[in-house]
Amino acid sequence: MKYALLVTGHPTQSKACHSALAFAKCIHAHPEHELLGIFFYEESVAVANCFANPPRDEYNLLAQWEDFHKTATCPLYICIAAGIRRGILNEAESKRHELDGQNCSNSFQLEGLGTWVELNSQADKVVQFR
Amino acid sequence: MQKTLILFSSSAYETTSAKEGLDLALVLGTFEQPVSLAFSGEGVSLLLESQSPEKEHGKHLYKLLDGLEFYDIDDVYALQSDIELYNSKHALWEGVTSLDQNAWAKMLQTHSQIIRF
Repeated sequence: MKYALLVTGHPTQSKACHSALAFAKCIHAHPEHELLGIFFYEESVAVANCFANPPRDEYNLLAQWEDFHKTATCPLYICIAAGIRRGILNEAESKRHELDGQNCSNSFQLEGLGTWVELNSQADKVVQFR
Repeated sequence: MQKTLILFSSSAYETTSAKEGLDLALVLGTFEQPVSLAFSGEGVSLLLESQSPEKEHGKHLYKLLDGLEFYDIDDVYALQSDIELYNSKHALWEGVTSLDQNAWAKMLQTHSQIIRF
């Protein structure tokens, strides 16, 4: 079965990003299932902020997602409009908005909602984490 | 063909949730994907005809409702009991169909994906 995940909950205000990662790992480990992609929308886009650093003795959610990205082939998308609204920028967007610095982890791609529509239409099952 | 339901249960202007839910619905419509909208709980506040948001509240979301038909979004539902609970006095947007609990449950089952805001 083909899955697409939509994550909308904030990484520190909810466990949406944690649950989505656990679910994604299960799909990835299952030979009969395929993960088409994970799309981060609304408050969840903060998960890609590589300027956010939890204390060293605490769980680092972004590092976990980056590790997952190295092993899994599925893309991690950040909604570009939701990301820019909340200050999550890669190099290209930082330049376009004439800002200094970029904070979007390289494991994530900034994409428009059209990318979600494509995932939504290709998947057998869509699961939202909010 | 699969049909997506965008379900609004958050208050219209308390967070950006309703705005971002509407944005997603309009993009689905733009890509000619079948999409319906449904409103329950505090989400029914978005349907209030008398709303007058200030600039600090963000875009005037009610005004976006009249444009839904241009995106082929014709199916807009609200849960009757929540309309009564959250709004008994004010007029609602005329394009909405109110459903009782049974009809609401049946409506949910006609969709292959439900995305909640």
